[in-house]
Amino acid sequence: MAELQENAAYEPVVLPPMGARASTLAAAAIGFALILLIPVLAALAGPAGIAPDFSARLSMPDWQHWFGTDQMGRDMLARTLKGLKTSLWVGLLASACSVLIATVLAVVSIAGGKWADRLVSLLVDAAIGLPHLVLLILVCFALGGGPVAVTVAVAVTHWPRLTRILRAEVLQIRQAAYVVSARHFGRSWTAIGVSHILPHLLPQMLVGLVLMFPHAILHEASLTFLGFGLDPTRPAIGVMLADSMRYLTAGKWWLGLFPGLSLLFLVLCFDAVGNGLRVILDPRTAQT
Amino acid sequence: MTGFRKGALLASGILMAAAPAFAKSELILAIGGEPDTGYDPLMGWGRYGHPLFQSTLLKRNAALKTVPDLASAWSLSDDRLVWTITLRPGVTFSDGTPLSAEDIAFTYNEAAKAGGALDLTVMEKATAIDDLTVEIRLKHPWVTFSESFYSLGIVPSDSYGPGYARNPVGSGPFKMVSWTEGEQLIVEANSDYYGPKPAFERLTFVFSGEDTSLAAARTGAVDMVSTPALMADDDIDGFQKVVVPSVDNRGLSFPMTAPGEVNGEKVGNEVTSDLAIRRAINLGLDRDQLVEVALNGYGHPAFGPADGLPWSNPDAAVPYDPDGARALLDEAGWIVGDDGVRARDGVKAAFDIYFPASDSVRQALAVVTAEQLKTLGIAARPMGATWEQIGRVDHSQPVMFGWGSHSPLEVYSLYNSAWGGVEFYNPGYFSDETVDAHFADAQNSASLEASYPDWQAAEWDGETGFSAKGLAGWAWLVNLDHVYFVNDCLDIGDTQIEPHGHGWPITAMIEQWKWSCD
Amino acid sequence: MTSIALRPVLSTVASSLGRLAAVLALVAVVAFALAKVSPVDPVNAYLGIDIARVGPEQRDLIAARWGLDQPPLAQFTLWLRNLLHGDLGYSMIYNAPVSEVIAARFWTSLPLVGLAWLFSGTFGFALGVIAGANSGSWVDRAIRFYAYFLSSAPTFWIAILLLIVFSVQLGWAPVCCAGPLGVTPDDVTLADRLRHLVLPLTALTVLGVAQVALHTRAKIIEILRCDAALYARAQGAGKWDVVLRHGVRNAALPAVTILFASLGELFGGSILAEQVFAYPGLGQAAVAAGVRGDVPLLLAVTLFLTLFVSAGNMIADMLYRLVDPRIRDEAFASGGGHG
Repeated sequence: MAELQENAAYEPVVLPPMGARASTLAAAAIGFALILLIPVLAALAGPAGIAPDFSARLSMPDWQHWFGTDQMGRDMLARTLKGLKTSLWVGLLASACSVLIATVLAVVSIAGGKWADRLVSLLVDAAIGLPHLVLLILVCFALGGGPVAVTVAVAVTHWPRLTRILRAEVLQIRQAAYVVSARHFGRSWTAIGVSHILPHLLPQMLVGLVLMFPHAILHEASLTFLGFGLDPTRPAIGVMLADSMRYLTAGKWWLGLFPGLSLLFLVLCFDAVGNGLRVILDPRTAQT
Repeated sequence: MTGFRKGALLASGILMAAAPAFAKSELILAIGGEPDTGYDPLMGWGRYGHPLFQSTLLKRNAALKTVPDLASAWSLSDDRLVWTITLRPGVTFSDGTPLSAEDIAFTYNEAAKAGGALDLTVMEKATAIDDLTVEIRLKHPWVTFSESFYSLGIVPSDSYGPGYARNPVGSGPFKMVSWTEGEQLIVEANSDYYGPKPAFERLTFVFSGEDTSLAAARTGAVDMVSTPALMADDDIDGFQKVVVPSVDNRGLSFPMTAPGEVNGEKVGNEVTSDLAIRRAINLGLDRDQLVEVALNGYGHPAFGPADGLPWSNPDAAVPYDPDGARALLDEAGWIVGDDGVRARDGVKAAFDIYFPASDSVRQALAVVTAEQLKTLGIAARPMGATWEQIGRVDHSQPVMFGWGSHSPLEVYSLYNSAWGGVEFYNPGYFSDETVDAHFADAQNSASLEASYPDWQAAEWDGETGFSAKGLAGWAWLVNLDHVYFVNDCLDIGDTQIEPHGHGWPITAMIEQWKWSCD
Repeated sequence: MTSIALRPVLSTVASSLGRLAAVLALVAVVAFALAKVSPVDPVNAYLGIDIARVGPEQRDLIAARWGLDQPPLAQFTLWLRNLLHGDLGYSMIYNAPVSEVIAARFWTSLPLVGLAWLFSGTFGFALGVIAGANSGSWVDRAIRFYAYFLSSAPTFWIAILLLIVFSVQLGWAPVCCAGPLGVTPDDVTLADRLRHLVLPLTALTVLGVAQVALHTRAKIIEILRCDAALYARAQGAGKWDVVLRHGVRNAALPAVTILFASLGELFGGSILAEQVFAYPGLGQAAVAAGVRGDVPLLLAVTLFLTLFVSAGNMIADMLYRLVDPRIRDEAFASGGGHG
């Protein structure tokens, strides 16, 4: 799951369940709406939402606390929402960084000649040659751990697959007839890059951006779960799930169930949005 | 392998899911505390109680009275610089070699330079005078040096070397059978042990997580399990709950000086350097609620670093008085602002409370403390971090520390001005001439017993001291109870007041454990 | 089928090995650099809470013993030289030579990761074939839903759920570890080992199945739509006849390729699963090393896993060429946006 598959950076985590274009788009719209809802609800819950209530510690889910409360009597629903919001920010940052890095590397590898191409290719091989989680652990360690370290680690490690894809794309466009003829008419590579190549890359970059979210979010949760995110007082899904492990045998199942389930749904939402985006941007899927 | 055979194997595996039947000569203990660095006393093994594989010169009984172990006689010279120790004869290590004064001298000299976690820097040299007599020379009088007699396990000079930590050889009641790191340690009785034979031939220490250990206890797979306070309310069939009081305390350090820099490190805090703030926090914290919420009731309010031990001063405790705390703050000019937070001269009464992120009890304490301080008009923000990160902020922000030792040396290192900023000792640069003078008197005493009044005076001498009544260098919050579920059939007898560190201290009295069922 | 001359294969293998060496070298340099820029003081990390009990003089002794008082470049060359001589250094947190720690952990992890790899391959392939052959039916939908759901779930959360249900509630499986409590490792029976393996193995397999199943399904559908398959059907061959004869044979290689390419994912998953089930394998050691700052161990685990995962990627690349001879791009032979 948590690792990108060979071409998963621009494929959704899995293929759309239904082939129909309309239902894919509808799912995307719903997914997008749900994603937007998270920061809104988190803001509505406010700081008071996660204030401790020492008289209601570890209470089961009920109408007052839909997701139950934790060992400090904090509402788990509000904590989960805030955790998801954190995940969203990390995801956004990671996606943006990765698309940026991947684009730069792809262009460098094409424009920089044979050696640049080899170097970038070696970089990509090295980056996917060790389990992504180990790479994340290394970067986290290098930055000394903490929430910032986790964010940076997730942000700077998701570029390799997208680099390959964008590079292949650039290569393809460069050999396309209109680029070749533009070159014949004496236009510089920079001009061609801006007027022809970049516009063609944009859809790929956008889809890559959205479909990068789930991976980044899951990796952020994994890292905080493993204890690299540290600060356990800031709500993060991984921290909540790690905490829940302490109470498993005591039968406090709600601490582990709901945050994980919410994260799962967030990932599904992003998949739906990514799928929809692909359908919109890729004319080839229009017929299916 | 065919699918059929594999299935059969799996099935037989599931059938064997029940715990192995335990004979009464074997115990399985899930009391945590796996040493990170192995079982080498020179690397600090055994300082939280019993080294198990090794024996020490002296030990403490359940009432913390000193009783001889390897040493049969010990004395300190009149100038308090030379310890002379006579050994009990006829002791052998578990590999059969005899234990002599050479081994004691070797252990002490090596420990001083080994760079492990035991501080012997005050020692000049240890010398074997003859087979059974050893002489330890100090650089200057230091009454707390004798603490090493209780905590430093003796290793064999002939065979000690690399790899010892994984295959310890000693003269203690048990010897190692196997150790699977992160999983379990299996030991068996040392047949050459000179002391009373333990009733159990074989012990297994299981190092699974706390929740895992509890689940194992429910299936009857373990005979004793230490449990975090938050889970101590449950009952386990066939187990009795043993609640052992401890001096394992938790307290909030206060940076004592105004903000500045020492050796490039940020030192001092504008808020906590004010005596009124420190005293108000000490007065205004509801320690009973801290015990109730963060420790689930398994603990006691703490007022000093060594509550209940002979060198602590019972007069130093302060009552819970939130109104008094607020009055104190008003008087000192800390006025409540619109946001409910006090401020003085534009400085908000706000700071962070750092705690090690992996420690759920300290996290709970920090969160509850912050909530309580809110009602006083002080804004405290709990911050989880690693020890290493805490090391970068501990001179300028309060930290939720834990201490608790069977020696007054700890009190000395927490409040003595010379130790200001030295590692985590005295992180807030507490410094007071009167307190230092009491400490000097204590370290110069003829014996530990004779030094008690001086330690007490350092805490509160009627006019000043490091306690909340005086300079309030720390806000001590709670003393933890260590909670164990013990098989109904296992009689562990009397227990000591346990020091800091959960788990191993309980084995200090292992020789008196008995199996009471047939 | 394609018959391959020996020479190109040998040269491919040779260049792959060269590339593997280059990747390892790069990872070694980067990993060491990352470890060195870390603000985590190895001595403090080693001492943990005991920082409080150790004076500065003793800290210097510890630092000197580990060679931490040398400049970074000297430390790197020393590390590299030792590495080439087979000396991986000394693990601070396990207080044992790193090579011993890695060996012990590897043999614990091997059955877990190996079996998970095998099972996700076989089950994934079987599910993919079934779904592909029945595409559109409820079986297909169920399999796709399963794959869709699970590949979106955090590995460790699935592991936690398994723990809640099978260990805590039902009591069928042990809650932790690689063997029963209170038994020496040498005395642990095969049955015991398997019993402790079941749950982590299930967690890893359940997740690994999804990718293989989905790719196999797509491949089977593609194959069933190709002319040869349609022709065979037209000649009266049964559906399963065609599936087995054409589909399975042609979909097997892509599935194996995916399996090799997913080694990194598998090891990543095992890190999380081992953490949840307190299974003392390589993954758990990697996390402990990272959290507690055991640099020699962290570096060694990194290189060790890189060796495996990179080798897996290279094998996948070569298989890719077999599957799809169109891939000829030299530098990016390891495939990419294809599909």
